[in-house]
Amino acid sequence: MTATLTSAGLTWLPSGQAMLAGPLQQLFLECDTALAALAGDTGAEPAEHPVFLAVDDLERINYLASFPHLATFPVTLEESGLPAFAADPVDESGAVRLRGISPVRNVITPAACYHVYVQLRDQRIEGPRYLTFRNTCVRRETEYQPLRRQWSFRMREIVCLGSRAQVKAFLDRYRDLVSGLLIELGLEVSWQIATDPFFQPSRNPAYLAQRLNPTKHEAVFGGDLAIASVNLHEDHFGEAFSISTDEGPVSSGCVAFGLERWLYAITTRYGADPANWPDPVAAAGRVLERHR
Amino acid sequence: MSSESPDALVAWVNHRGRDLPEDGVTEDLPLLAGRHLTSLHIPELILLLERISGREVEVDRLQAGDFQDLRTIRAKFLAPAR
Repeated sequence: MTATLTSAGLTWLPSGQAMLAGPLQQLFLECDTALAALAGDTGAEPAEHPVFLAVDDLERINYLASFPHLATFPVTLEESGLPAFAADPVDESGAVRLRGISPVRNVITPAACYHVYVQLRDQRIEGPRYLTFRNTCVRRETEYQPLRRQWSFRMREIVCLGSRAQVKAFLDRYRDLVSGLLIELGLEVSWQIATDPFFQPSRNPAYLAQRLNPTKHEAVFGGDLAIASVNLHEDHFGEAFSISTDEGPVSSGCVAFGLERWLYAITTRYGADPANWPDPVAAAGRVLERHR
Repeated sequence: MSSESPDALVAWVNHRGRDLPEDGVTEDLPLLAGRHLTSLHIPELILLLERISGREVEVDRLQAGDFQDLRTIRAKFLAPAR
């Protein structure tokens, strides 16, 4: 399929990243527009977030202990070492000769919604708050496959912060909306209980909690590819980032979409010829009309 | 299972659980789903169950609902070995 998608605008890089152009880029934008339209159902506020997250912030949720295998770090060089580095920057194998690295204090965004909790840190939330945004996420993996598993990929998310009941109602609503959109697009999925990809999971209480009391459900396409997930965080982020309501730490939940995976699902279902692809934006419109 | 085990489990939940009913934990109170216990309690609970039962809890085999409430925990982890 990857080879045939070249004509539709896919360029696959050996680093595990994809370039999109032409019809495939258009489909990417339409999928994202469709999902942003679903976000509009709650009046979600659009947001823009940066590329990096501060390690200080991620440490509040033990990110690096839980997911060290996924992390990619932005690395810079000490000023004093620049002349020596510039004289011979790359070795025979093509690897950078890193010397005199500045202290690393950031991680490249591994999941889009972490920025929200940083943004709302130490704030009090009045009533439910909904946000939506897209970011490029970067996760180191042992192997990559075009549009299925990439080092860098785009994630659209819709987040709700509020009482537990408000968050659960939001997640139920969006599971219905997403199911409706997938049916409109003719993409068959099964909703499955899932866990986050923890490092040494059986030693991690957060993983055990997800196993014992499932809070993550994924829409799985083709038997093994999660193209959407619905996640109840309880007050995990509210507590870690001191975001509160009148009743204590805020609850939160998110709905997340790996956009390249939607391209994979659509092109697997309908082939590489754009003439056969469905219109995601029109499909989202029909879903919203039906759920009004 | 030792004779004091039910009390030890109830005492632990009453001591460590949060937002419990006034009269303490009941047999069917949803412990994790009701947020009376959180992820941070799980390792300690596993150690307690191992101490009470004298058997290792096979962490890799834990499933959804295994720690649902006291009744389930007793049946799954504290029933006499066959």
